[in-house]
Amino acid sequence: MRTWAILLGGLLVWAGHFFALYGIGEFAGESAASRGAVLLLTASGLAADAVLAWRLLPLSRAGEFMRWRARVALGGLALSALAIVWQALPALIG
Amino acid sequence: MRSETGFDPALYDRFPTKEPRPEGEEEELRRIWCKPKGWEYLTVVNNNYVGIYYLGTAFLFFLMAGVLALLMRAQLAAPMLEILPQATYNQVFTMHGTVMMFLFAVPAVEAAGVLLLPQMLAARDLPFPRLSAYAFWAYAVGGLCFFASIFVGLAPDGGWFMYPPLTSKAYSPGINTDFWLLGIGFIEISAIAGAIEIIVGVLRTRAPGMSLDKMPIFAWAMLVFAVMIVIAFPSIILGTLLLEIERAFNWPFFDAARGGDPLLWQHLFWFFGHPEVYIIFLPAAGMMSMIVATVAKTELVGYRLIVLAMLATGFISFGVWAHHMFTTGMPPMTTGFFSAASMAVSLPAGLQVFSWIATLAIGQRSFNAPGLFVVGSIVIFVTGGLTGVMVAMVPFDWQAHDSYFIVAHLHYVLIGGMVFPLFAAFYYWMPMVSRRALSERLAKWVFALMFAGMNIAFLPMHLAGLQGMPRRVYTYLPGQGFELPNLVSTIGAFMLGLGVLLFLIDLARNFRLAPGGGNAGNVYDGATLEWLPSELYSARSIPVVRSREPLRDDPRLAGDVAKGRHFLPGSATGHRETIVTSPLLAEPQYLQIMPGPSAWPFAAAVFTAGFFLALTVQAYSFAWVSAILAVVSILRWLWETDRPVRDEEVDIGAGIMVPTYVTGPASHGWWTMVILLVVMAMIFIMALFSLAFLASNQPAFWAPPPSMAAGLPIYFLYGAAFLAALAARPLLKRDARWPVGLFFASAFAAGSALWLDWTGWSAAGLAPQASGQGAVIAALQALQAFAVGTGLLMAAYCAARVARGLMTQPRSNTVDLAMLFLCYTAAQGLTGALFGRAIGMT
Repeated sequence: MRTWAILLGGLLVWAGHFFALYGIGEFAGESAASRGAVLLLTASGLAADAVLAWRLLPLSRAGEFMRWRARVALGGLALSALAIVWQALPALIG
Repeated sequence: MRSETGFDPALYDRFPTKEPRPEGEEEELRRIWCKPKGWEYLTVVNNNYVGIYYLGTAFLFFLMAGVLALLMRAQLAAPMLEILPQATYNQVFTMHGTVMMFLFAVPAVEAAGVLLLPQMLAARDLPFPRLSAYAFWAYAVGGLCFFASIFVGLAPDGGWFMYPPLTSKAYSPGINTDFWLLGIGFIEISAIAGAIEIIVGVLRTRAPGMSLDKMPIFAWAMLVFAVMIVIAFPSIILGTLLLEIERAFNWPFFDAARGGDPLLWQHLFWFFGHPEVYIIFLPAAGMMSMIVATVAKTELVGYRLIVLAMLATGFISFGVWAHHMFTTGMPPMTTGFFSAASMAVSLPAGLQVFSWIATLAIGQRSFNAPGLFVVGSIVIFVTGGLTGVMVAMVPFDWQAHDSYFIVAHLHYVLIGGMVFPLFAAFYYWMPMVSRRALSERLAKWVFALMFAGMNIAFLPMHLAGLQGMPRRVYTYLPGQGFELPNLVSTIGAFMLGLGVLLFLIDLARNFRLAPGGGNAGNVYDGATLEWLPSELYSARSIPVVRSREPLRDDPRLAGDVAKGRHFLPGSATGHRETIVTSPLLAEPQYLQIMPGPSAWPFAAAVFTAGFFLALTVQAYSFAWVSAILAVVSILRWLWETDRPVRDEEVDIGAGIMVPTYVTGPASHGWWTMVILLVVMAMIFIMALFSLAFLASNQPAFWAPPPSMAAGLPIYFLYGAAFLAALAARPLLKRDARWPVGLFFASAFAAGSALWLDWTGWSAAGLAPQASGQGAVIAALQALQAFAVGTGLLMAAYCAARVARGLMTQPRSNTVDLAMLFLCYTAAQGLTGALFGRAIGMT
């Protein structure tokens, strides 16, 4: 499970962020408080990505498989951070 | 990570072995994995046969849906034609979409997985061959009966996404809609059965040494594809169930006048429907990645990025479902989120496309048949992807929605993203299953006709759509500027059809099935394990994998494997068997003894299809008889499994000993049950979402739920049910009767809790016909009743096995699986009881 959590960490953060945004938009409606919540969630999502990346860096990369796992995980975190910012923009600048 | 399971990787150095193999070893393998004869072709479970059956049937549906498309194009060739009456046209376009999406696209890629994965992973077969056979027969029998509805004018006519209120009883009173709702029921079951097989197969039956970073990219694609099915299909299962219940029993899930909401259907449908596009695309992309590297005679550029792109697509595609609903008046903020996610999903798709282009650019391109279709696919798919980004923009979508622009876009995506890769795969892998490869000369004509025909057919539809031509119209008036684009589209569609016809001629001339060896072989010089010399038992021995392209990196590998110098060179137990390996590093864990041919999966499939089809035509007695027979057939098929094994440990080659019977989280059966429970949990979660959605959108119809405190006995009973089931596993070693008693106790406790829950809601005045809230609460209870009933059946099954002395001790997979199921049942019941009370509390 640990390897899967490492491989999919960034994408899971993205999923949590997206569905939380959807919940706000669908069930809480549009208001200043909702926008504040989106901002908070986005900051939390980016922080989670950063923490995961920080924890990933010192992990052992001995062996082909470990190097591969670290690189895919870092790619996932980068993609996640990009998508989180992108999908929050409509609420933050709209 | 040096080892995942404690296995010493240095043991791999013992291979290839040097000692001569005993006489008769290969003959015994042939005897165990023998060819079927006569009626045994119906009961065969070997992936070489089931895969071909599956693929052939899916292709048959492609042809039939293609004929429907040509009928539509003939009708639209000129204004005011009367080739098809309006009502028939509605049935034809509905069946075209439904058959292409449900009966061709998903089964075709699943079939490719069943056929290719065991060879690619060097397993003897997928881990549940009978499940594959069941999935195929349920799909084939049910699908053909479903398709036949068009010949008697009873085919569904509400479009492939069946929006209510058009499909409600008031506006669609006939059984046409029921054919769709129940008819695809067995396809959903079949798809999920196949997905479970593929997930466990990819993660647990890879050749030793084939760690995740060395796995063929097609296997990665199939893994993500199967997980997506497990997450996405429950939504449509629930949706079709709710709509059919609304039609049959008048429970107003989607009736806005009684507290339901038709938009709920759209959410449930598209939560499945959009990921479905990627469910179809990903395996095709996996095929493309395999073929591109071979035709360019080089290593695939960016393997790691492609894996990442596939994983990312699997996630992000679940965040785009509502982009089909931009015109329904969703809150603007929500619309913005979905628009952004819809654009974001193009990023991983783009990564894959750039990787293919880079591989072609650096390699030695050869425009053979697979190469042509690969390049054609890239061109068409990129065009469809670009128009996809256009319609992801909300203002543009408002203009283009429900116009022919969308028809053009989706055909570019689906034909470029799935049909062309599938044809590339036909040409590429045909020599693996046929004595002769297909004709390269004819292939150029097939490609030219299909590529030109596709673009001539669908490019003008962009223009027709932008000019304002709505989709799903059976004709149009002259003088609106639609004549020329429609005539050109029709010519293109027939060119495309001609290309497919030419392909059929080539198939008839050259395709000669060779499942037991004697195939044309590795004509394109592929580097992965499916090109090892193989027979019905797959490769003679299971190789140690040391790289991603083992045949290219070790030219002696094929010879060594054929001489039995790797793992499992013969049969260790005298049965069909394969090596189960660990999920990350593929270290050998144990030997799985596999079930052989059986008539029961076939019987179960026929009765499953019979159940759904009999319900459709309202032959209720026959439906219930079919359901009972289906359950009996499944139990009979399971009865032969999980038997005590004579040898506790066996030598799988070079003196490496592994167990023959494993229980708990390490066993493949445990994994299967967990995946099945994820499916059930997803159905339940979508039902909870439905409740929350209606509470949010129809507050005027919301009645106060029973109090939380009044539910205390219910929570207690569910807790007791959970603990009773959990205690069964450790108590098995004392006496085999203990688990049986505890399972019955667990099921009765859960049943009592359900009864108390329902009486509480009834006392609160809630009725399923009265409001959307009542309908969803009753649906949640019905789902729970199904789980409790299944739990009771499992307890009775365990009791029967104990009575016949078939329960292994001190550990048993049967007990493990029943324990997992009953624990889940209790957890689901508790969640439902709490959630139902929490939603709408004042």
